[in-house]
Amino acid sequence: MATVEFNHIKKSYGSVEAIRDFNLSVDDGDFCVFVGPSGCGKSTALKMLAGLEATTSGTIQIGGRDVTELGPGNRDIAMVFQNYALYPHMTVRKNIGFGLKMRGMPGNEINAKVEDAAKILELTNYLDRKPKALSGGQRQRVALGRAIVREPSAFLMDEPLSNLDAKLRVQTRAEIVNLQKRLGVTTIYVTHDQTEALTMASKIVVMRDGMIQQIGTSHELFTHPRNIFVAGFIGSPGMNFFRGPVELDAGQPVTRFGGHLVRLPAATAALAGTDAVFGIRPEHIQLTTSPINVGLRLVESLGTEKILHFQIPKGQSLTNTEADFGPDDQDRDVQSMLIRVIDDHIYQEGQSVSLLFPQDKIHVFDPATHAAIG
Amino acid sequence: MQRSKLGQIGIYTAVIVTVVLLLFPIYWMTITALSPANQLRSFPPVFFPEEPQWGVFSELLATQPFALWLKNTILIAVATMILALSVSILAAYALSRYRLRGGATIGMFILTSKMLPATLLVIPFFAIFKQMGLVGSLWSVVITQSTLIVPFCTWMLKGYFDTIPEELEHAALVDGCSPFATIFRIVLPVAAPGLAATALYAFVISWSDFLFARTFLQTSESQWTLNMGIAALKGEYITDWNVIMAASLMASIPILLVFLVLERFLVGGLASGAEK
Repeated sequence: MATVEFNHIKKSYGSVEAIRDFNLSVDDGDFCVFVGPSGCGKSTALKMLAGLEATTSGTIQIGGRDVTELGPGNRDIAMVFQNYALYPHMTVRKNIGFGLKMRGMPGNEINAKVEDAAKILELTNYLDRKPKALSGGQRQRVALGRAIVREPSAFLMDEPLSNLDAKLRVQTRAEIVNLQKRLGVTTIYVTHDQTEALTMASKIVVMRDGMIQQIGTSHELFTHPRNIFVAGFIGSPGMNFFRGPVELDAGQPVTRFGGHLVRLPAATAALAGTDAVFGIRPEHIQLTTSPINVGLRLVESLGTEKILHFQIPKGQSLTNTEADFGPDDQDRDVQSMLIRVIDDHIYQEGQSVSLLFPQDKIHVFDPATHAAIG
Repeated sequence: MQRSKLGQIGIYTAVIVTVVLLLFPIYWMTITALSPANQLRSFPPVFFPEEPQWGVFSELLATQPFALWLKNTILIAVATMILALSVSILAAYALSRYRLRGGATIGMFILTSKMLPATLLVIPFFAIFKQMGLVGSLWSVVITQSTLIVPFCTWMLKGYFDTIPEELEHAALVDGCSPFATIFRIVLPVAAPGLAATALYAFVISWSDFLFARTFLQTSESQWTLNMGIAALKGEYITDWNVIMAASLMASIPILLVFLVLERFLVGGLASGAEK
């Protein structure tokens, strides 16, 4: 078990900067998740930590020891890969024990440790099978077994659930979290799936274009996103955004939504006279008596949960630069806002509803820097 | 339904025709070896001799140094196979895994050398081997064959290495393997079908060599290979075709044995199960 530290890490491929000034400190026993859209550099950061990619500059420490120049085998880490990377010519037993064998452990000790790991992961009956005779879930557990049997300082996991079907993914997600809690080993986990990040992590690192956007717990990221990207990326569906002026109404900051006044958090009073980007999560919009009336363009029903779509008033939707949510969210409709409701009411497309944007649930962002204000 | 039945008949017909075409020379070689000399050119042809002359094999072994030719051929084929594979494995791995400056050009250049006709190389090689004192040595054929075989083997193996997920090597490195050990413990066992196919190719090519052996080994009879020995069985005025065919038949047996040994490795799909 150990702390993990990235100090001013950079990684360039020729003139392309994959990672820019990456600084992170992961505490002993933390479950830290790197999350971000495709190409954000999260896997590169993990590979640098593993020693599979060289750093361009900066240092990496594991357990207070500088490992920047050490090879992967000398860093006392274990890794689970996206495609499991099981050795196809070896049995499950040999796959799990391979790392111990490479470290010169006697055969009887290897066998005992492999049996223990297999018991934890319910693989005892499969020890003499080859990987091709296993199901996807079983292969995934063998990959985990290979990692835990070594009792390393840190586990590194590169999207280990992405090849499993939805049901198995949820089940294995819980198994990994329980295993990590039980073993208490510092874990760095990479995923592009925010649900995995939010449900598993004690610390989440949101990345984009090789830069850390925000570090925090799931609650912090959800309630206090540091910029438009994090606000839009975290949450499903993501946060709604609209533009508007900041004005003062009897000394209180307000904006206008389709001409109607919307009260803003008090901290935004200083912005009076400027334009800002406002964000509100779909589950925070209230359907109640209000002067703001909108027509529903689309109703998506998931049983009791419904996602209601309505159009943002003309001139108030985000510009292309403001709405740059990354390659995984290209299809996001910036002309629409969503409301997430859980009730038994039946909504119809074309129906008019009254909305309230609760003052304390509105996030305000600088349209130029995209940073959160207040 | 009708269409699929017709399709099946078509496929079976094609398979039968192919098998007959492939096996007929072997069949003809066998009955020629077993036929008495007076039946060899009879018309209509005899498709199976009434009294097979099994004695032709013992006669061949008694009158010709067949065992010596066989030993020389095996030595050349095995040495060529080992030398060519040793070089090709490392070259193919480097081409497959490392982003070398001009790597693609190097790869194409290696393959281009395979395009040169073997006859073009005979004279320069002869001159070089003469200076080195290798004319008349089995090594002359081993080295020449290897230079011709390595380019193609490199490309064959590169193709196999390209299909092996890099994560397997990464996993081995994290497990504590050195980069070199990773090649031998992980990459090569996983590439076993590719290695077997490549080894078989190298073995067959060097086994069937005549040109280089004839050029470099002609003067030292103790170094003759099977193909040279068989060619020498052809007389100036009279040729015992049954003896030549018996020798050819016996010369084919080792190739069949090598194929049978390597066959289980040739079956692909070993890498399945490495990934999802």
